[in-house]
Amino acid sequence: MNAVGADVAADSPDRVLSCRNIHKHFGIRKVLSNVSLSIPKGAVMGLVGRNGAGKSTLLRILVGLLMPEYGSASIWGESALHLTDASKVRLGYVPQKPESLNWMSVESMLDFLGSFYPRWDREYVWSSLMRWNISPAHRLDKLSPGERQRVALIRALASQPELLILDEPASALDPVARRDLLREIALRAGESGMTVLFSTHIVSDLERVASHVCFLYEGKVVLDTTMDDLKETHARLSVSRAAAVTLARPIPGEIARRRRPDGGLSIVITRPAQAGWPSAALSSDAVLEAMSLEDLFIELTDVPGAEWFAK
Amino acid sequence: MESDELVIQPSSAEPIYRQIAQQLRRLIASGRLCAGDELPSVRDVAGRHAINPMTVSRAYGQLELEGLLERRRGKGMVVAPARGRAHSADRRLQQLLPLLEELSRQARELGLPADSVIEKWRALWEIEQ
Repeated sequence: MNAVGADVAADSPDRVLSCRNIHKHFGIRKVLSNVSLSIPKGAVMGLVGRNGAGKSTLLRILVGLLMPEYGSASIWGESALHLTDASKVRLGYVPQKPESLNWMSVESMLDFLGSFYPRWDREYVWSSLMRWNISPAHRLDKLSPGERQRVALIRALASQPELLILDEPASALDPVARRDLLREIALRAGESGMTVLFSTHIVSDLERVASHVCFLYEGKVVLDTTMDDLKETHARLSVSRAAAVTLARPIPGEIARRRRPDGGLSIVITRPAQAGWPSAALSSDAVLEAMSLEDLFIELTDVPGAEWFAK
Repeated sequence: MESDELVIQPSSAEPIYRQIAQQLRRLIASGRLCAGDELPSVRDVAGRHAINPMTVSRAYGQLELEGLLERRRGKGMVVAPARGRAHSADRRLQQLLPLLEELSRQARELGLPADSVIEKWRALWEIEQ
């Protein structure tokens, strides 16, 4: 469930991408702190965090565009900083603001880059440009941000990558294009075993397609688990003011607590997949309720005055 | 059956695979899906709702284990014959599972221990008899 658990399996052969103990500063600002992650083949992992949580920095380190001060990242067992050409053509990465080759037209950029990829899917390029209403003759730097992002996504998907890394792919897309993209990601992951890592702050996108979820908060991994487990093994315990006195210390499975304005407590608890809830959670003074992903995200990342335990 | 007959609420606290499994159980229990009826393919359901195909497979797989669905060569998943389903108490109990799960969930939310719920239920049962 946490980063330490992922660390153990980081070197196993079915791990497409992994990193260990990543630290990164920009000047005096600490951006990432001891981040470890590991993604199995065919997984669709959503990396969720608020603005400034360190998502883009982490993705850039994972694809080898940025060097961490400590720690290492690897893809298919190779160091991310020294990927072989054979590995590079199996990897697709779409940054949040794609800018490369901006002086070219849509068509010439796609033709040019397509020539580097052995499995380039021209048919996908043309059908996607049509569906997403992008004129192939336009210069890239004349496109709107949404169009520019769509071209970058087409480029990444046309190469039929085995690992696809997307930084906030949905940020400039309208709802229809977003649903199209999610469908494409879900089907490719499920059918051809493509592994996907995408960052987002739109939690509902994640809930449809992601098989794994990782929450990043102030440069730290605060949750790393599978989507189904997450919903089945996390809950919120609301404790009245009167009963809060008896729960001064953390209860088993507690991962976050917040004092409510009325003096009561709101506690997020987790349990092992096959076990029941701890008895403290079932007492008559507490109300246990299931949580949506968005609830959980807010409880774990909107925490002025929250007390942290167990990490 | 068509994929869009399924209602998927991604933001519900209930995992999507459970949402699918529950709806199919209900459709089968109520007779709206009959033995031999074909289910939409995993790809079709996943594509229609833009969800992960593994989630759909997981729901189908679970119902296969429960004996409600079976895999037919060349046809994909079909509803299993009802024979045995109506006779075995075990299978009939399966049909109550969604209700029982809902009951457990609500009892937990109300902070009620299982014993007191069962006691109340037994009292009701005896009145009905």
